[in-house]
Amino acid sequence: MMKNNYVKKFFLRGMMFGGFGPIICSIVYLILQFIIDDFTLSGADVFTSIVSTYILAFIHAGASVFNQIEHWPIAKSLFVHFLSLYVSYSLCYIINSWIPFEPAVLLIFTLIFVVVYFIVWITVFVCIKTLGNRLNKSLK
Amino acid sequence: MKFQTIIDNSCEEKVLIYAKQRTKQIEDIESYISNIETELLGYDENRDTVKLSPTEIYCFIVEENKIYALTDSGKFRINQRLYEIEELVSADFVKINQSCLCNIRKISKFGASLGGSLTVILKNGYKDYVSRRQVKRVKERIGLK
Repeated sequence: MMKNNYVKKFFLRGMMFGGFGPIICSIVYLILQFIIDDFTLSGADVFTSIVSTYILAFIHAGASVFNQIEHWPIAKSLFVHFLSLYVSYSLCYIINSWIPFEPAVLLIFTLIFVVVYFIVWITVFVCIKTLGNRLNKSLK
Repeated sequence: MKFQTIIDNSCEEKVLIYAKQRTKQIEDIESYISNIETELLGYDENRDTVKLSPTEIYCFIVEENKIYALTDSGKFRINQRLYEIEELVSADFVKINQSCLCNIRKISKFGASLGGSLTVILKNGYKDYVSRRQVKRVKERIGLK
């Protein structure tokens, strides 16, 4: 596949799923409103969260392209995918003040992110691998 | 299964199958025979016209809005839309993603990509992914329930 196709796919997927970021964010805010009595947000807070979660979802969706670049070694694909998600998630959390910008908190956030990322990745990979094996058996 | 070939210039050419019931083997023979009759026109890099039989094509791919057929003899440009080709060669081919129509008989194996996609590796080494939307269809065509 041509380099331009990957770039096109990145933006296409980003545009398709970017809107899910603000939708999920608004659902979380709605839940918080019911849980916390004096939950209020300024106009600037709402603006920042909408824009940042849109960009976050855009990058998250587009980043799946990194794992399809055939001429990249496996380790590179995985590393770039992980890094793009980690950077976008941590920046989004910090910009929105969802986590304080403190080394101890960032370290815990990073540890949780790494563990969750690999649990999700291994689960999806094993499921797809199993499906592939079943299809291979049917081919024979 | 027994078979017989009769060479007779005076006869109309046809294939007859006697079977107790319809099986996958019979469906395979039917699709093979129907594909022999289908011919597609391909164009090589010198713009020379080449007649292509679906049985020799590994897959049809879209690259920069152009359709190409991959065969052992090379890559040929096809001047038809992917959905038009899909209708013509539906017996042996399955759409695996928006830009690839793959010959089931030319599949070497399935695998998993790091991104969590199902991948197809063809006998010529060509590798592509199966989009989530097409997984169900691929499973049905391979005969996996």
